[in-house]
Amino acid sequence: MTATRTIQLEVLRYRPEQDAKPFFQTYAVPVEDEWVVLDALNYVKDELDRTLSYRWSCHMFVCGSCGMMINGEPKLACKAFMQDYPSGKIRVEPLSNFPIERDLVIVQDDFVEKLTAVKPYLLPKQDKTVEQGEYLQTPAELKKYKQYSLCINCLCCYAACPQYGLEPSFIGPAALTLAHRYNTDSRDAGPEARGDLVAAHEGVWACSFVGACSQVCPKDVDPAGAIQQAKLYSALNFVTGMVKGDK
Amino acid sequence: MSAATTDTANPRKPYVRPISKTSWFLTSARYKSYMVHEVSSIFVALYMIQLVAGLFYLAAGPEEWESYLAFLRSPVVILLTLVGLVFFVIHTTSWFKAVPQATRIMRGEEVLPGKILVTAHYGIWAAVSLFVIILAWVA
Repeated sequence: MTATRTIQLEVLRYRPEQDAKPFFQTYAVPVEDEWVVLDALNYVKDELDRTLSYRWSCHMFVCGSCGMMINGEPKLACKAFMQDYPSGKIRVEPLSNFPIERDLVIVQDDFVEKLTAVKPYLLPKQDKTVEQGEYLQTPAELKKYKQYSLCINCLCCYAACPQYGLEPSFIGPAALTLAHRYNTDSRDAGPEARGDLVAAHEGVWACSFVGACSQVCPKDVDPAGAIQQAKLYSALNFVTGMVKGDK
Repeated sequence: MSAATTDTANPRKPYVRPISKTSWFLTSARYKSYMVHEVSSIFVALYMIQLVAGLFYLAAGPEEWESYLAFLRSPVVILLTLVGLVFFVIHTTSWFKAVPQATRIMRGEEVLPGKILVTAHYGIWAAVSLFVIILAWVA
């Protein structure tokens, strides 16, 4: 049975061409328990206010477009079910720690730059030609990093991370996790090929292990875990480097 | 294309929400609990200093060791020690909880379940504690 009820959807609005700063606008939205917050936003867009802007695409926790603050928690709007908000009041804001482009749309440029910087792709030890075939890997080697490859770049972890908010030079959870994902891939040449970025001050060592990123991750990627493992690797590397007399 | 060619025609004006450097941790229950956990490590440090100081007094001779024991017996120190012990247990358990996140061990083709790692830590903790208690009993 679906029970239709009306919720008060408070949305942080910001229209750069006319607003000096963001403000909350409340919409009365008839919803069903099976709905998600994204459905409510779509209702507003279709029926109440077509000027509302937000990102979304797949509606099934795959594309990572609809990350936003829902009652103060970074969540995917397509994964936040109405039945979990019985109070009838839902507050929606753009992801914390990012500049607001318009309404619920954030400026992602900083993240995209950082993601690019960690080279999130295979850097093989030795390049192969197509004729030489694929880079092979055993199931055990895949399991070593698979969890960290499930990131959908929704940026909920950045919104949860106080360190990123306070110190924007921090490379941050998702990009560091992807660096770790490739560094631990048996087909990859490892951290040396990826540069010193992960071990740098704004890399893993800027993380103080609040752990909020892993708590909010909608894909259970556990960025905090990946970063702690990368710290261990970086520390061991530093010590072996000293012993060998590298620096 | 009628794309804007000058900056004045650029309608972009990103809004940056301010973050307080001094009170950011009051903005969510998660941050508050993190900060309480971090600040409580002061008591853990004091407890450690107390234990290490004991070693120095022990090395200094029987009289000094007795004065250290007398210091430990004062009510304020007993209270502080108890507080330190409570936080020590909290910090130990929270670190044990984090072990599976920071350590990923492959056993054959599978990742070793975190539960085993955590249980092993508790097991070692219990064994060492038991050993120390027996040692204290015998001595």
